[in-house]
This record gives sequence, C-alpha cells and structure tokens, in this order.
Amino acid sequence: MFDLLAAGIADVAQVKYLLPLLLGTLVGVIGGALPGVTITMTIIVVLPFTFGLDALQGLAAMVGVYVGGETGGLITAILLGIPGTPSAIATTFDGHPMAQRGEPRRAIWLGVWASCFGGLLGGLFLIATTEPLARFALRFGPWEFFSLFILALSMVAGLVEASLLKGLLAGALGLVVTVLGNDPILGTPRLTLGLSVLEGGVPFLPVLIGVFAFAQIMTDVEKMGSAAAAATELRTIAGRAVSQLKVIAEILSRPFLLLWSSAIGVLIGVLPAVGGSAANMIAYDQAKKFSKRPQEFGSGIPEGIIASESSNNANVAGSLVTIMAFGIPGDAVTAVMLGALTIHGIQSGPLFISQNPQLAYGIFAAYLLAHPIMLIIIALGMRWMMRVVTVPQAALFPVVLVLCVIGAFALNNTMSNVYILAAFGVLGYAMAKCAFPLAPFILGAILGDQIEINLVRALMTNDDAWLFFTRPISGALLALAVVSIVAALWQHQRFVRRAAATSDGKADF
Amino acid sequence: MIGRDGIAALVVFAASAALFAATLGLPDSPFVPIGPGFYPRIVLGITASLALALFVSDIAVHRRGRVVQQPERRNYRRVALFFVTFGVYVAALPLLGFRIATFLFVAGAQVVLDPPRDRRRWLVLLVIALVTAGLTYFVFERYLSVLLPRGRWTAF
Repeated sequence: MFDLLAAGIADVAQVKYLLPLLLGTLVGVIGGALPGVTITMTIIVVLPFTFGLDALQGLAAMVGVYVGGETGGLITAILLGIPGTPSAIATTFDGHPMAQRGEPRRAIWLGVWASCFGGLLGGLFLIATTEPLARFALRFGPWEFFSLFILALSMVAGLVEASLLKGLLAGALGLVVTVLGNDPILGTPRLTLGLSVLEGGVPFLPVLIGVFAFAQIMTDVEKMGSAAAAATELRTIAGRAVSQLKVIAEILSRPFLLLWSSAIGVLIGVLPAVGGSAANMIAYDQAKKFSKRPQEFGSGIPEGIIASESSNNANVAGSLVTIMAFGIPGDAVTAVMLGALTIHGIQSGPLFISQNPQLAYGIFAAYLLAHPIMLIIIALGMRWMMRVVTVPQAALFPVVLVLCVIGAFALNNTMSNVYILAAFGVLGYAMAKCAFPLAPFILGAILGDQIEINLVRALMTNDDAWLFFTRPISGALLALAVVSIVAALWQHQRFVRRAAATSDGKADF
Repeated sequence: MIGRDGIAALVVFAASAALFAATLGLPDSPFVPIGPGFYPRIVLGITASLALALFVSDIAVHRRGRVVQQPERRNYRRVALFFVTFGVYVAALPLLGFRIATFLFVAGAQVVLDPPRDRRRWLVLLVIALVTAGLTYFVFERYLSVLLPRGRWTAF
C-alpha cells in the first residue's frame, strides 16, 4: 500500500498532474470564498475543462477544487459573516466575531490550519480504509448491491430534518428520472413521452448540473444585492499580522477537539450525500457540549473555528471513501467526480482500486498534496482573494451558466443535453422553492439504473425474492435501511418540537 | 386550503399516475423474468403514494393552522426574466452559434440582473460579454478539443 502511495505521490508531483491540482485548488479556494458560489457549482464549472485531460489530471483538478473549496468558504465566513459555502456556516459563529474584534488574520489562519490538519487526518482514514472496504464489497452479489443502494437512498432521504416525506419523495423523483428512456438491461424503449431527447435515457450529469446550478443561482437572484453591502465592510478590515507557529500551537494544544471534530467530519462524509454542511454544524455542536466554557461559544473563541473547519475538510476524505469503495457518491461534488470517471470509461465501485491502482493512489496523493498547496495559495493570495470575493453576481452568474452549458453540451456534443440541463434547471428551482431537498433527488437519479440492474440480475439468478432478506449482508443492509427511516422519524419529531420551541422564543443556539 | 406542498404533491401525483398508466402498455420480455415495465411501476407507485401522503399532510397542516409565512420579499420578476433570457440563449445556440449567442446572453443577462446606469458600466458589461464568449471559445476549441455549437443561420 505504501509503495503504491509513494508511486502515486511521485506521479502527482509531476508538472502535468501538479498543474491541474494547483489550478483546481486555486479555483476551489476562490469558488469557496465567493458568496453564493458553492463547491458543487465550482466543480460543475471546472468539469468541462477536464474533458481534454487524462483521468488522473481531471480528478486531481477536482480533488483540488474540493479541498480548496472547503477551505475557501471560511474566508467570507470570517470576514463578512456570510459563509462562502454551506460547509462553513458554523465557522461564522466564532470566526466573524473574532474578525470583528480586530483579529481577522488569526481567525483565518486558525481556520486554514485546522482545515489542513483535519483534512490530513481524514486522509489517513481514506488511505487506510478504502481498500479493505472495497475488498469487503467484493463479496457483494446483486442482492447486496441492491440493498446497499436502498440503504444509501433511505439514509439520505431520512437525514433531511425538516420533512422526511419530502426527502423520500425527492429520492423517488430521482428514481423516476432513470425510468425514462430505455431500460438498462435490454435497451427496450419505454416512457420516452414521444420526445427524441429521451430516447437514450436521461444522462445524470446535465440533470445534476441543471438542478444544482439553477437552484442555487436563481435563489440568489431573488435576493441579489445583500452581498454588496457586506463587501464594503470587507474593504475596511485589516487586522494584525499573526505568527503561524502560535496559530499551529493553538490548534495542537487542543488535540481531542481536533481529533473528535475530524472523526465527525469523516464519518459524516462516509454517509451518502450528507456533506460538509452537516459535518461542521455537528462538530461545532459537539465541541460546545464537550467544552468547559460552552457559554463562550459564539463570542469568537478558537474552539468554534477549529471544530468547524477541521470537520468540513475531513468530510472530503469520508466522501472519497464512499465513492472509491462502493461507487456511491458521498455528495454532489463526488457525484460530478463519478461523472468524470464515467466520461473516461472508468467504472467506480469495489473493483475500482484493484483495476486502477495507479489512478486510485494518484487520487489519494492528490488529496494529500492539495492541503499544502492550499496553504501556499492562501498565504500568497490572501490580499488578492479579499478583492475577488467582491465580484458582482450580475457578472458572475451568466458566466457560470455559460460554463454549465458547455459542460452539458460537451458530454457528447449534442444540444439534447443542453435541453435536459435547462428542463432540470427549472425543476431544480421549483424543488428549491417548495423546499424539496436536492441531495436525495440526485442520489436517486444516479443510483436508479444500478438499483434496477441489480434487482433484475438478482431475479434472473434466482427468482426467490426472499433472498434479499435472507442473505445475511443484504438482509442486514435492508434492516439498516428500515432503522434509518425509523430514526429519521424520531429525529423529525425532535426537529418539529425544537422548531416549535424556537418560534416561541424558548430556544437558543 | 392547499399550500405550496399540496400543489407540488398534486403535480407529482398526476405525473407519476400518468407515467404508471403508460407502463401498462409495455410488453413483457422473453429473456428476463421481469419486463421493462416492472421496475418503473414500483418506482412510480411509490412516488405516487408518497405524493399522496404529502398532499394529505399538507391539508392536515393547513387545518391545524401551522403554516410558516415567508418573511422576506423576493424579486421573482428578475428570476422569471433571467429564466427567459437563458431559455432564449438555449434556443439561439444552434441557430446563431456559440460565440454570437453567448455574447448576447452574457450581455443580456447582466442587463436583466443589474441594469447599467452609466456609459462606463455599459462598457464593462460589453467587455465581460465579449471576453466570456471569446475566451471560452478559444480555450475549449483550441486547447480542450471541445467542439462548440455552430449556428445554422450564421455558420459561425
């Protein structure tokens, strides 16, 4: 394993891989820092640029975007009090007060170093567990894969606190997308609605790009203007220089906080489609619960920043484990990476590492190297980045949409993918307005074909449907799916009670 | 009274019921134990049931009066105009070609999102549109071997 990792690092250290990684990390940091531009949107924008690259170059760029984006989000969270990405929400709670107190550089570097340490701790988990998990998954037959995908969908749908019903319905709608067009076993045309665009089925990348880009952009268009005032505030922030060694010592003097927050990040990342937005909030909440001075959280203390930032970068490693070991995207960003793998003709899943060791360990190496690169980028470009975050959205959004169109068109050089992008853009915005969660929808659209293929394969091998329940792993996975739904129901009740208490003015965060 | 969830649930229910009906005409396959309509029927059946449950839940919520009002005022007119601008762009791409359509879209979208108030802003807007159209075309066609749409009307 270490030989392969060393070879991977040697590969990625070559200019042809290092350059895409560097550019990806830079774009990720900028995208993460721009208010209203999520990491998903940034990776969608980067996707078309990877078409002309080889698989490892493209994936190195995407890993760079992912790592850089998770860190970039903290810059605006701390300086403006507006999280650059949802995964930096909890960073605003203590980062912004610390910046307002006249210590913006300390707050930023605490976040950057915590991201780096958290990310690297997550990297250890990624490297140590992916291969054993993939080997375990090799024991899976179609029954187990079917049950695993059902579990993934039920977990994602169930983790939507606000409405379990909407989470489940969004997942089911994602599955509906995959039944349009040809059936995946024999290619029999079905449910094409007389539209030639649907004859080959609905490719998931234009669906993903349309749904996420439009849901995000149009929601921001509704309330455009609020970031401009905050940008004015940004220009007035200066702050004292800080000693990097002091900042590192501040983080390492809290080893339990760092390890626990990173562990939370990794574990949340392993759960499909939950992502850094949940990880940073849970880690912050845990840090507060374990703290000897919980009442000081929210006033600008380092613990809040360390917990949030170490967890969201460790989360990236967890998401990469899920996609590399099981072929299930951990979140929308890894869903785009899955699409990039497919474009290069590479099948993700349990056989991915054994069939593509150079690529797999190249991804591990890119992940590890992205962290020091991110540190260097932020050290060199901090002042410049503070200006970039004030780019007007009126100029940014049309450019992002043009890149989305190119990304969809370039998949197979047809306008039909652009039409699908536009149609699902409208659907994505409608879903956002009706508060339907997008993550279960996308996971349904990605896994739908695989669920059907494994269902049919299982029944072709043995028409006894009880095998789904009686085979030990398959049965255990289905039982876990039921448990996750029951747990979600309980969690939902708790959420409703908490929301009611908050609206009565009884609760505080 | 029906809320936004109820309306969305009704739309989803109607669509999934119509698609479910369409699967009934699909032929069985002699090669596999379950035909091409088997799985879609399960998925659409589940979708329709969940939509129905959401509809009932929405009615119940409205009866109990637990409706959360949205406090913020939002600019839906601008959203609609931006959607229309994008729709026109998608329609124009195969007719005008990538370069012309992109230039017009980026310029038009900026006008929709934040209308320029002086000559300098107009100039910046046009430069952004020109650079976006030119640079993306140059990078993708020249360096990344991605062929972008040519216009049927303009051959450009």
